[in-house]
Amino acid sequence: MQPFDYLIPGDHAEASALLAAGNGRVRPFMGGTDLLIRTRGGFVRPQAVVDLKGLPGMKEIRPGDDGWLIIGAACTMNQVAMHPLVQARYDLLVQACNSVASYQLRNRATIGGNCCNASPAADTAPALYCLEAVAEIYGPQGIRRIPIAQFFVGPGKTALRSGEFLTSLHLPPSPQDARGVFNKLGRTKMGDISVVSVAVYRRSGRLADPTAPATGEWRIALGAVGPTPLRAAEAEAALMQDTSPAGIRVAAALAAAAARPIDDIRASAAYRRAMVAVLARRGIEAVLADLSAARAQLPAAGGAS
Amino acid sequence: MTYQIIGTNAARIDAPGKVTGQTLYPGDIVYPNMLHMATLFAGRPHARILNIDTAAAEAAPGVVAVFTAKDVPVNEYGLQIKDQPVLCGPGSGKAGADIVRFVGDQVALVVAETEAQARAACKLIRIEWGDLPIVTDPEVAAPSLAGGLVAADPTRPVPIQLHPHCADNICYSYRIRKGDIEAGFREADVIVEAVYQTPVQEHAYLQPEAGVAYLDEAGRITVEVAGQWTHEDQKQIAHALGLPLDQVRVIYPAIGGAFGGREDMSVQITLALAAWRLAQRGIRRPVKTVWSREESIIGHGKRHAMKIWARWGARRDGMLTAAQVKVIADGGAYMYTSNKVLGNTTQTCTGPYEIPHVAVDTYAVYTNNVPGAAFRGFGGPQGHFAAESQMDRLAEALGMDPVEIRLKNVLTDEKLLTTGTPIPGGVGLTETIIAAARAAGWTQDEAGHWHRPANQQISKSANHESRTTQHATRRGIGFACGFKNVGFSLGYQENSYARIELRGGGEIAEAVVYFAGADCGQGNHTVLAQMAAEALGVPLARIKLITSDTALMGSSGSASASRLTYMAGNAVRGAAAKALAAWRNEERPAVGEFVYLAPKTTPLDPETGYGVPNFAYGYVAQVAFVAVDTETGQVRVERFISADDVGKAINPQQVIGQIEGGAVQALGYALQEHWQSREGRVLTDRLSTYLIPTALDVPDKLEAIIVEVPDPNGPFGARGMGEMPYLPAAAAVAAAVYDATGVRFDDFPLTPERVWRGLHGR
Repeated sequence: MQPFDYLIPGDHAEASALLAAGNGRVRPFMGGTDLLIRTRGGFVRPQAVVDLKGLPGMKEIRPGDDGWLIIGAACTMNQVAMHPLVQARYDLLVQACNSVASYQLRNRATIGGNCCNASPAADTAPALYCLEAVAEIYGPQGIRRIPIAQFFVGPGKTALRSGEFLTSLHLPPSPQDARGVFNKLGRTKMGDISVVSVAVYRRSGRLADPTAPATGEWRIALGAVGPTPLRAAEAEAALMQDTSPAGIRVAAALAAAAARPIDDIRASAAYRRAMVAVLARRGIEAVLADLSAARAQLPAAGGAS
Repeated sequence: MTYQIIGTNAARIDAPGKVTGQTLYPGDIVYPNMLHMATLFAGRPHARILNIDTAAAEAAPGVVAVFTAKDVPVNEYGLQIKDQPVLCGPGSGKAGADIVRFVGDQVALVVAETEAQARAACKLIRIEWGDLPIVTDPEVAAPSLAGGLVAADPTRPVPIQLHPHCADNICYSYRIRKGDIEAGFREADVIVEAVYQTPVQEHAYLQPEAGVAYLDEAGRITVEVAGQWTHEDQKQIAHALGLPLDQVRVIYPAIGGAFGGREDMSVQITLALAAWRLAQRGIRRPVKTVWSREESIIGHGKRHAMKIWARWGARRDGMLTAAQVKVIADGGAYMYTSNKVLGNTTQTCTGPYEIPHVAVDTYAVYTNNVPGAAFRGFGGPQGHFAAESQMDRLAEALGMDPVEIRLKNVLTDEKLLTTGTPIPGGVGLTETIIAAARAAGWTQDEAGHWHRPANQQISKSANHESRTTQHATRRGIGFACGFKNVGFSLGYQENSYARIELRGGGEIAEAVVYFAGADCGQGNHTVLAQMAAEALGVPLARIKLITSDTALMGSSGSASASRLTYMAGNAVRGAAAKALAAWRNEERPAVGEFVYLAPKTTPLDPETGYGVPNFAYGYVAQVAFVAVDTETGQVRVERFISADDVGKAINPQQVIGQIEGGAVQALGYALQEHWQSREGRVLTDRLSTYLIPTALDVPDKLEAIIVEVPDPNGPFGARGMGEMPYLPAAAAVAAAVYDATGVRFDDFPLTPERVWRGLHGR
C-alpha cells in the first residue's frame, strides 16, 4: 500500500480546509472498511486521510427537535442497530444495518461511510430513502441539508462539493404505527454485497382505527438496480389504492418496472428486475402481516368492551 | 485387534502453535537483511513478447535486480511434461518460451529493498506485445472433438496451435472399450442420455503463495515455501536452474491449505532463481515474495471445467447394461497434471458400478484459459457428477428407488472395473450406501426393496420460514455415491520414505520420526505420530517429528491422491519394525529407515483401457436435503449426510473434520463458487467476486458417518479418505433440487439465477 498521512482535524473548519486543499488527494476517513481496501488495491491513492470520527457529534445519536432523530455520520452499523431510539422507531434501519457484511465489520463500518461511498448497493440506503432521511453537510459555506435522494448522484458519486463532508443523517419522526421490512439477496448467507435489495415502509395512519380511510404513505426503495438507490413512486401510489393480493402483485410489478438494473458478474439485469418484484411483494406482505399483528394486540381501542 | 493410540482423538500436534499464533507460514517468515521480490504477470491470454525493456525498472529506487527469460538456464517446467516456461519472453533458447498462453504466465521478477519498491518497479517494465488469437473453448481449440458422442474427426483444421509439440491441441486422451457397447444398448430396456457441464473451481486456500529463498550454510539454494511434495519441488527447481539435485534444498514450514493447488510450481523456481542469480552477483541476501490474492487466483491452476456426454442403458430389473461417455476437459494453457486428472475422470465417469459394456473417450485440450490443475478429487467430482446424475435418471426412468438401483450395481470385492481387472478387495461401498441411506430415513421392506424417507421427514424444518416464503419453498432429497483411488496410479511405483531413531537406555525415551510428507492443514503429522507411537509401542508424547526438509530425509511423496495416511503409515510401520530390531540389538540410537513400495499398477492399454490402474480405493455415499425458493432460485442445503469408508479411522476427530470440510467445499462447488472469465481474462479474481461458503452457508445439519471396512494393505486397515467426501456431493444436490422442483440441472454451480432461469424457462 502506498504510504499516506493520517490527519486528525481539530474542528469542522480545519477538516473542511484540509479536504478542500487536498483537491481529491486527501480523503475523508471514518471506518476505513472500504477506503483502506481500495487504497491497498491501488484504486485510490490518497496523500492523506482526514479522520472525521473525533469531530463533535460525529459519533452521537441524539433526539432532534419535533421528534426527529439525528445520527452522527461516524456512528458504526452496530451502534446504530443497537441504539434504543433507533430500535424504538426505525426498525427498518436496524434491519438494513444488520444486513451489512459481518458483525466484526459492522463494528468499524459507519452509516455515513456507507452513504459517502455512494454504492447503488449500499445496504442502508433503501432504508434511508424510505425514511426520507436528510443529509447534513458541513463545508466552506457552512452547513446545508439535502434529502438523501439528492445526496446519491451516481455510482460512487455524491452531492458533496470540495471541502464538504457528511456530518449526520436526520431522520424525520416515524410514528408508532409505521412498519418497514428490508430484504436483500446476496450470494452467500453472510457478508455479501447485495445483488438486489428492497425496502418497504408503511406509515399507516390507521393503526388505531382500521375502518378509517387509507391515510399515510407507502414507500418502496430499491438497491443495486440502478446508478443510485431508487424510489418506486408508481408502486407506492398503487398500494395506496389497493393492497389486496392482486393489488400487491401490481405494485410489485411496478416496482420492478422502476428498476434500471445492469448485467454484471453478480447477476443479470433480467434476474435483478424479476427479483425486485419478488422482494417487493414479500416486503409488502410482511409489512401488512406485521401491521395486522400489531392491530390484533391493540387494547381494543375504540372497539367493543 | 485393539490399539492404544490408533483410533483415539489425539489432539492435533500443530494446534498449540497455530492457536497461539507462534507458527510461521511462509508469508510470516522474516530474515535479517532480506530482499523482496515482485512478479510481473502477463495479464493477457495469448501474445508473443517481442521485446522486454527493463532499464527503467532497474533504475528505480531500491531495485537490486530484474530477471527475465534470458536469466533462466533451462526455461521450462511441469510435473508431467515440461511445457511451461519459468519466465515468458525472448532470449532463453527454449522454443515457444517467448509466448504467453494465459493471463497468469510470469514474465519478469523484480528484486528490491522493499515489497513496495519491487511492485512499483514492476510497472516500469515495458513490453512490446504481438497479440495472438485467443482460444478459450476446448471444442474450438480441438475441432476434431466437436459433435458429442461421435467419433473424432481429425480432418477438421485446428484454428491455432498453442504449443510447438502438440499439433491438434489435444494434450492427452484415454479410450476404454469393454464388452460390446452396441450389444449393451440392445439389451437395455431404458436408455438415458444427457450432456453435463462442470465448472472451474478456485482452491481459495487461506494462505496465498509465498516463500523465502537463500543460500544455506552448505551453500545450497534453499527455498522455504508451502507446497505438497518437497522432493518434487526440489527436482523442478534443479531442472530449471540446471543444477544437481543436492544443490537445491526445499523446506516446508506451516502450510495454509493446498487442496491440490500447490502441487504445481508457483514461487518455488522463481525464488530459487532470484537467490541464485543474486549470489552469482555477490549478493547473498534472502529473497522473499508474497503473492496477493489476485495474483494467487490468476497465477495457479484451477479445477478443470469439463463437458461430459453420457448415454447409459439398464434392464427393467435395474441392472446396468451399457455406458457410453465422452469427456472434454479444458486443460488450459499448460499440461500441469491434466493427463492424470483425466485418467481419474476416465475411471469415475461410469461411476462405482460394474457395467458389462463400456465405451469411454476422454480428452484434455489446451486453451488460453488458466490451466486445469489438481484439486481435491482430481477429476473425480466431474466424473461422478455425470455418472451419478445418469443413475438418478435411470432410477426415475425405471421407477426404482435410487438407493436400490445403486445397491444392485455397485462394485463389490472381485467385481471388474471398466479397465477389465478386479477392484482390489475390501470394497466398502455397499456399507457406505446402506449407512447413508439408513441415516437419512430410508427403509428396506421384507421383500428387500428400499423406500425413501416420508415427505414429512424431508420437510420438518418448514416452521423456520416466514409465511411469505413458505408457499414458494419446495423440498427434496438426493442420493449419490462414489469411489476414488488412493495413491499414485497407472504404473507409477508408489513409494514413501520414513526413518525412525530411537533414543534412550533401558526404555525408549524418545522416538524421532523423519518424514517428508506435507501437513497442509489436514492433520497428517498428527496421525503420522499416532501411527508411529502405535507401531513402536510408546506413548504419543515421546514421538518427535522432523518433517518436510529435503536435506534431512528421503521422499515421502506428495500430499495428494488421499495417499498420505496410507503411505506414511506403511512407511512408518516398516521403519518402526527395523528400528525396534536395532533397539533389541542394543544399538543406540536404534535407527530404522524404510521405503514402502505399494502394490504395482499398470498404465491403461491405449486401445481398450485394459489395466490395473490402482492399488487401493476409498468409498463414500451422501444424501442432500435441500430447500429451493422457487421464486428467487435460492437453494439451501438443510441437511447433508456423508458416510465414508475410511478402512480404519486413525483419528476419528480428524476424519470427521475432513468429511465436514470436504462436504462444505463440495457444496460451494455445487451451489456458489462461480468462476467467470471472458476471452481468457479472469473476471472473478478476488474473494469479493469469487465467493466461497461462509459459516452461515454450512448446512444446518452436517452428519459425518465413519464406516470401517479394512483395506487389506492399508496401515492398521486404513484407506485414504481426504478426497472422498467431495466426490458425489454436486450430484446429490442436483438430484435433490430435481426431487424438489422437477427440473434437471445438468450444469452448475446452482446459483440462484441459474436455478431461477431453469424453473421459469428464462
